[in-house]
Amino acid sequence: MSAGYVLVVAEVRRGLFEERNLDTIGLGRELGLPVSLLLPENVNGVDELLLDRVLKVSADEGTFLNPLVMVSILVKVFESQGQPDFVLFTHSSSGAECAAYAAGHFSAPLVTDVSGFDQSTGTFFKSYYSDKVFAQFKSTSSPTFLTVRSGSFRENVTRNQAAPAVESVGDIAPAEGRTFLEYVEEAGGAVDITKAEFLLSVGRGIGSKDEIPRYEELARAMRAVLSCSRPVVDKLWLPKERQVGTSGKTVKPKVYLAMAISGAFQHIAGMKDADCIIAINKDPEAPIFQYAHFGIVADVNKLRDKLIETVKGS
Amino acid sequence: MNSERVLACMQCGKCTGSCPEAGKTPFNIRMIVRKKQFERAIEEGLPWYCTSCNTCTIRCPRDVKPSEVIIDLRSALIEDGRIPATIQKALENTFVQKNPWGKPRSKRADWTEKIDFKIPHISETKEKRLLFTCCIQAYDPRCMVIPANVSRLLRIAGIEFGILGEEEACCGNEIRRMGEAGLFEELREENLANLKKYGVKEIVTLSPHCMNTFRKEYGDLGIRVLHYSEVVKGLLESGALKLKGHYDKRVVYHDPCFLGKQNAIFDEPRALLAKALGSNPLEFSRMRENSLCCEGGGGRMFFDVETTYQRNSEVRVKEALEMGAEVIATSCPFCVMNLEDPATEKGISVKEVSEILVEVI
Amino acid sequence: MEIVVFTKRVPVTQEEELRILEDGKAVDLRKLPHRMNDWDNYGVEEAVRMVEKGGGGVTSVAIGDAEADEVLRRAIAMGARDGFLLETEEVLHDPFARATLACNFLKKEKIPFDALFTGVQAEDDQFACFGGMLAAMLKIPYAAQVIGVDSVEKDHLVVRRELEGGLQERVKVSLPCVLSVQSGINEPRYVSIMGVRKASKVERKVFKASNYADNVKSLIEVTKWAYPPKKEGAAMIAGDVNEVCGKLLGILKEKGVYQ
Repeated sequence: MSAGYVLVVAEVRRGLFEERNLDTIGLGRELGLPVSLLLPENVNGVDELLLDRVLKVSADEGTFLNPLVMVSILVKVFESQGQPDFVLFTHSSSGAECAAYAAGHFSAPLVTDVSGFDQSTGTFFKSYYSDKVFAQFKSTSSPTFLTVRSGSFRENVTRNQAAPAVESVGDIAPAEGRTFLEYVEEAGGAVDITKAEFLLSVGRGIGSKDEIPRYEELARAMRAVLSCSRPVVDKLWLPKERQVGTSGKTVKPKVYLAMAISGAFQHIAGMKDADCIIAINKDPEAPIFQYAHFGIVADVNKLRDKLIETVKGS
Repeated sequence: MNSERVLACMQCGKCTGSCPEAGKTPFNIRMIVRKKQFERAIEEGLPWYCTSCNTCTIRCPRDVKPSEVIIDLRSALIEDGRIPATIQKALENTFVQKNPWGKPRSKRADWTEKIDFKIPHISETKEKRLLFTCCIQAYDPRCMVIPANVSRLLRIAGIEFGILGEEEACCGNEIRRMGEAGLFEELREENLANLKKYGVKEIVTLSPHCMNTFRKEYGDLGIRVLHYSEVVKGLLESGALKLKGHYDKRVVYHDPCFLGKQNAIFDEPRALLAKALGSNPLEFSRMRENSLCCEGGGGRMFFDVETTYQRNSEVRVKEALEMGAEVIATSCPFCVMNLEDPATEKGISVKEVSEILVEVI
Repeated sequence: MEIVVFTKRVPVTQEEELRILEDGKAVDLRKLPHRMNDWDNYGVEEAVRMVEKGGGGVTSVAIGDAEADEVLRRAIAMGARDGFLLETEEVLHDPFARATLACNFLKKEKIPFDALFTGVQAEDDQFACFGGMLAAMLKIPYAAQVIGVDSVEKDHLVVRRELEGGLQERVKVSLPCVLSVQSGINEPRYVSIMGVRKASKVERKVFKASNYADNVKSLIEVTKWAYPPKKEGAAMIAGDVNEVCGKLLGILKEKGVYQ
C-alpha cells in the first residue's frame, strides 16, 4: 500500500525550474509527509534543500512533460519508491494535462486548481464559478492526484540542513502516440491586448498625447502591454487595437493596471474579469475603485515617473 | 423582407445627402441601394455603420426605406454567422441576460435602490401604468438616475405607476435594427406576455428607443405608449407638478432621432425645459427634423469601427460652445452617453431633461 | 474526420452573487440563466471548421438533464450533424465519474470517431481534466489547451498547445485522440435564433445514463461549500509616492507579472 510520501512532479521550461513549483512543494509540506521531487535531467534553479528526495528521469523536458510518457514514468516510480499518498502537479497547461491523464490511467481521485488545505478535515479547497465559491473536497482513495494553484502555498516551503538523496528513475522511452516537436513563441507583430497577462491601461486623465511615450516607456520597463480607454483612441493618442471596452476588446489579464481611467461602464465591461485590477486615479470617487482589488489615489503622471525611475534603477 | 422597394429607387441621392455617416466614413447608402438593385455584393463591414436614425427613409421621395435595406443586409450576415465580434457579444448577452451588456437579469431593478421610496411591482398597482426602464438606464450608473428622477416626478405629482423589475426584458429596438429578427421576436413575445399577464393599460417609456418599438413594432397593443416628457408636460400644465424657481444656466436642446424625427416629439421636451428655465432653450442650427444624429443607435453603441472618424457628438459640442451654452440637454440615454465624452472634455455638461427638472422641484 | 465534441450546459454567474444553501450543502443556482460552456463553443467551432474543410461529420454530446438539449441545438445550428444527450438528473461533481460514463457510452454504442474534442475547462467547475481522463480510459493520446491545429494528416494531427507566458509547444498526436480546445483558437460564428429554431427540427437522440453506469463512481466528494474570504471594494494603498511605488511593485511581483 502507500509508502508514506508526497510525490511532486516538477514543471520545467527551457531548462528552468518554474517558480510555481514552490506551491506544489509548499502543499507537500502542509500535507506533513516527506516530499520527493520528480524531474528531468539538466534543470537549473532547483533548491534541493527544500526537498527530502530527488528523483531524476533521463529524458528531456519535452518528453518528460508529456501525459503519455508521464504515465510510464509514474508506473516506474511507484514500482521503485512505493505508491505515494499524493501526487502533486502545478495547475498549469502541462501540469493539469499530465495530472488528468495519469488520474484517468490509475483510476485515481483528482482535485485540480487546489488553493487551500484544511488540516482538521483533510479537505482541499477548489474554486468554482471563477472564485465566487469554493468546494471542499475529500478524497476517498489513494494516491490522490492534485494540481496546485500558483501563489497558494509557496510560503510553506522549509529548508533542510542537508542535501537530499538523489536517485535515478532511469531511461524512459518516448511515447508513440504523442511527440514533442518544438517550442513556438507567439507571433509578434500586431499587438493583441487580449493575450497579454499584464496590461498597463491609460485613460484620458493622463492629460495629453505628449504623455504617451512615457507610458510606453513604463510598459516596456515593466514588460506590460499598453492598452487604453475609448477617449484615448478617439483623440488618436493610441490606435484602435489598444482599446478596452464594449466597443473595443474584452480582456482578461492576470493584472490590469488602470492609470487615470475613471471607469465608465462601457470600459468596465471590457476588463472586469481580470484576475487583479489595480486602479490609480486622482479622484477618490472614481467609479473604477468599486471594481478594483487595489486602489491608489495619486497624481498619476507623478507616480508614473517614480515607477519608471524605480523599475529602471533596479 | 423589407427591401422590396429598392427597385423603385431613382438614385436621387437624398438619402446619402442626409446621412450622418456619409462623407466621413466609407458608408454610402445610395450606393448600397444601387448595389442591392443589381444584387451585387456589398462589403460585409459596411451595413454596421448605419445609426438607424431613419433620416434617409423619412426623406426618400420613392418610399424605398433604405434603413430597412440595411436591416435586411445585417439579417443576412447574422444568419451566416459573420458579424463583428462586439455586435455578436451584444446579441449573445441579450439572449442570455436580456440586455446587451450581459449584466445579470437579477439586478435589473437595482436602480430603485437609489431612491428613498418603494416602487411597486406592476401587479400591485391599480391603474396598471408601467414605467419601462430600458437596459442602459437599468444598469449604467450614469443613466440610472433617469428612471430615478422620473419616478420622483411622477410620485410628487401623485401618479400611480409600477415596474416589471427583473421580469422586464430588453425592448428589442436595437436588436431588430442589428438584424436579429428572431431574437427581437423572442424579446417581444416575452414582454407582450407580461403586459398581458399584468393587464398593463399604459406604458411610460424613458428611452425614445423603447417607445419607438412599442409604438410601431409590437403590433396592435391596445395600450397607450408615452414618452415620459409627454406625461410630465401634462402634469406641469395641470399644476400637479409645480416648479420652484428656475434652472439658471444657458441650455441648448439636442433632439434625439428616435424621439424627434422618428416620432415627432419635438415640443414636449422643449416645453419641460421652458418651464424649468423660465424661457425657451437655445437651439442648434440643425434641430428638430434636421437634428444631427449622436451615432448611438442601431447597434452603433456596440460597433467597433475600424478607423476613428470625427464624431458627430464633437460637432454638436463645438456648436454648443460657440453659442455660449453651459449645458446640453437631451432626452435619450444614448445621446447622453455619446455627447458626454466630448462635452466633459470641453468643460460643458450634458443633462437628460429630467436631471434639470429635479433641480427645480 | 468524424469528430465527437463534448458540450456542457453551464449557469451564467458573471456579476452574480452566489448564495450557499443549507449550511454549505449546495449552491443556489435556481434563478440563473444557462448557456453552452464558452470553451465548448470554441470546440464545436473548431470541429465544424475541420469537417467543412476536410469532410466528415461532427457529433455533439452533452451529459446532463433534459435542459442540456439546449446546447445540442446550438451545436447543430453551428454545423454539427448529430446531437446526443446522455441524460442524468444527478450532478456528477467528480470528473472521474463523468469521464467513466462517457467512456462506457462511446464503447457500448460503438460511436465512431477520429477525434474527441472538449473545451479546456467548464466555466462552472473549472476542473480542466475531463478530456484527459477520458483519453486515458480509452487508451488514446491526449493534448490539452490546443490553440491551433497546424496540419491534419491521415493518421495524426500536428497541434499547438498553449503554455504559460506567451509560449506554445508544437506536438504531433496520433489519431484517434482527445484534444481540449482553448478559447481563442478561432472566432466562433454567431448562432441566430432562427438558426437554432431550424436546428430544433433535427432529431437529437437521448440515451439514459443509467445504461452506462458500470464503474461510474465518485472518487472525491464535496463535503462543504464555502465563500471566499470577503473582499470589500478596493484595498486602498496610501503613503507618499515612494511608499506607494514600492507597495505597487510588491503587488505586481506577488501576482507574478513583474520580476
